[in-house]
Amino acid sequence: MDPALHSPDGGHHAAAAATGRTRVLVADDEDDIRRLVSLAVRKAGCEVVASAPDGTAALAAARAELPGLAVLDVSMPGATGLEVCAALREDPATAGIRILLLSAGASPDEVARGLSAGADAYLAKPFTVAGLVQQVRALAVREPVA
Amino acid sequence: MTTAVLDRPDTRPRPRHRLLSHRARQAAARGPLAGTMVFTVATVLLLVGSVPVVDRALVLSGLALAFGALAVAWVARLPAAAPASLAVPVAHVAATGLLYAGTAAPTTLFLLLGPVWALSAHPRRRGVPIAVAGTAAVLLVPQLLDAPLAASATLPGALVLGPLVVAAGSVAVNANTRRAVAQAQAIARLQGERATLLAQVQSRADELDTASRILAARAQTMTSVIDAVTEQSIIGTDRDGTIRVWNPGAEKMLGVPRPDVVRTRSILDFHLPEELTAAAEDGGSPTGLDALVHVARENGSDVRDWTYVAADGRHRTVSVAITARSDDRGAHAGWNFVGTDMTEVRATERMKDQFVSLISHELRTPLSSILGYLELVMDDEDQPLTEEQRQYLSTVERNAQRLLRLVGDLLFTAQVESGRFTLQPAEVDLAGVVRAAEETARVAAANAGVQIVVDVPDEGLVVSGDAVRLGQACDNLVSNAVKFTPAGGRVDLVLRPAWRTPDGEVVDVIAPDAVPVALLSVADTGMGIPAGEQGQMFTRFFRSSNAQRNAVPGVGLGLTITKAITTAHGGTLGLESSEGVGTTFTMTLPVSLAG
Repeated sequence: MDPALHSPDGGHHAAAAATGRTRVLVADDEDDIRRLVSLAVRKAGCEVVASAPDGTAALAAARAELPGLAVLDVSMPGATGLEVCAALREDPATAGIRILLLSAGASPDEVARGLSAGADAYLAKPFTVAGLVQQVRALAVREPVA
Repeated sequence: MTTAVLDRPDTRPRPRHRLLSHRARQAAARGPLAGTMVFTVATVLLLVGSVPVVDRALVLSGLALAFGALAVAWVARLPAAAPASLAVPVAHVAATGLLYAGTAAPTTLFLLLGPVWALSAHPRRRGVPIAVAGTAAVLLVPQLLDAPLAASATLPGALVLGPLVVAAGSVAVNANTRRAVAQAQAIARLQGERATLLAQVQSRADELDTASRILAARAQTMTSVIDAVTEQSIIGTDRDGTIRVWNPGAEKMLGVPRPDVVRTRSILDFHLPEELTAAAEDGGSPTGLDALVHVARENGSDVRDWTYVAADGRHRTVSVAITARSDDRGAHAGWNFVGTDMTEVRATERMKDQFVSLISHELRTPLSSILGYLELVMDDEDQPLTEEQRQYLSTVERNAQRLLRLVGDLLFTAQVESGRFTLQPAEVDLAGVVRAAEETARVAAANAGVQIVVDVPDEGLVVSGDAVRLGQACDNLVSNAVKFTPAGGRVDLVLRPAWRTPDGEVVDVIAPDAVPVALLSVADTGMGIPAGEQGQMFTRFFRSSNAQRNAVPGVGLGLTITKAITTAHGGTLGLESSEGVGTTFTMTLPVSLAG
């Protein structure tokens, strides 16, 4: 069990919301990348409320935590980032979560598929930390839908 | 085969005149025989005294004239139709006249029968008046010569009646003769025509025989060639898809022997129905055979992958070339399907694709970590690095970036090869692309002591294309030029509008059918490329001997990728180079009409 799965703030949504910091879910099957993304999210002034090593855990964490933003890797075991994205958009409870997809494949086809699955933004791997921070900030500024 | 023609008996019609002259010779041979006999009998009768001789001189001259004419006739053998052949009967009429005068015996008038018959029967109509006049003359001869009168000759009626009878008979005989001659001629003509027709029929039959033997030989050759193809399926069908040709390659691929399919099965029996339905939907044609052949019908031919279902139910991926077949009159007769089994090839291709994308993902992921964490360390404002540390980590970063580019190039090359390479078209200002490429290469060029000179139009030059890919192509050309140019050298980047003619020539002024292009030339003063290697420069993984000798880094993918990008944009890429002087790469891209 990945200790990162446990929400750092114990699920107190209101507390995080009160601080005004966007609550973020990070999902990637690579531990190193997940930590790197989490670092970038914090550098962007957001709070990592959950991090998941596969698609199934990511979906469960999103439903439990209802974060403002989900940063999802596309190729993950369990469910791919695209599948998680589509599932979140289908459920009215999670439809408002903003989604940033990360992928090793940067072909136009993949970008198009990612965006048509309902993602708000798409970042190709390898990304620069500065670039990721910028994207997370841009998405966090928006008012939460829910 | 030709001997059949050459050995044919000569059945050509013989000329008609030869047939006629043969008959004429027979008549000529018979004529004098009768006359000779008659005059010989007359001579005997005169000698024995049965006919009294009144005037010996007249009788002798009559006989002499008669036998003289016969002698001439025997020797000359004149053709019956010849005008000269009238001479003998005329002489005999005259001889009869002399004998009648010399004997005064009406019996001698019987001698007229022969020559009068000969004159009447003569093919020339003038024989009749000659016979009439001759008869009249003979009857008048005794009076003219004051010879002793015979009792019958004293009758004036006989003088008139005799020639009249002769005339009537002669006309009848002559008419019959002429009719007989005409009939003989018509028969001869018909026989000639029949012979000609027979000859023609025989000749045509021989030609047919030869032609059918040539055709049989050709068919045999075609069959043996088709039967020799054992690794490709060759299937020929009627217009409705019924199989007519099924070669050993088809037997092997689909596991059905020829006798079981020819004339009894349809090509559709060996296709996947759902694949045909999908093709019909894509092509907007009815399903069934139309789905299979509609592209070939429109374009003349069609090559694509189809799934064949073999007798044992196995599916084979087959690259099938479909063409229409015509009969000898040029009318559409059916379809040809020539297939190559690509099942293993396609599986290998899929595996290669999967392998490349897996490798590229697996390589990118650790590189993402390396570059990401490097960035965190190098940009950490709380714990600044020493200059030495920064230099070491910069080296790590530079090499990680190089590894990343290589992975990208490999993946891109694989995409180009598998045809999965797509462009994101937009209006791209090439002037900006060239300036950016110069900026990218500026540091490396400065370090290498190479000067880059940029000459681009101030107003820009817009082409339609993928900005990222065009930038990549431009970067490759510029970085190559810098890499291969020794210190103190120079690289010229020149961008200008030009025209490209249909035969690929680039000209500065507008020419007929020429298209406007952007012309980018990247010229260096480098080591140059040996003439023998210039043709291979765009082959992947090819590295020139100069690059290897001078240890210029690279794996030989840059120009392959640049060429692929240029071609995908409808452009051209060429090079001119001489060793020790330098190399110029020239790229043309069609100018955007909107721009």
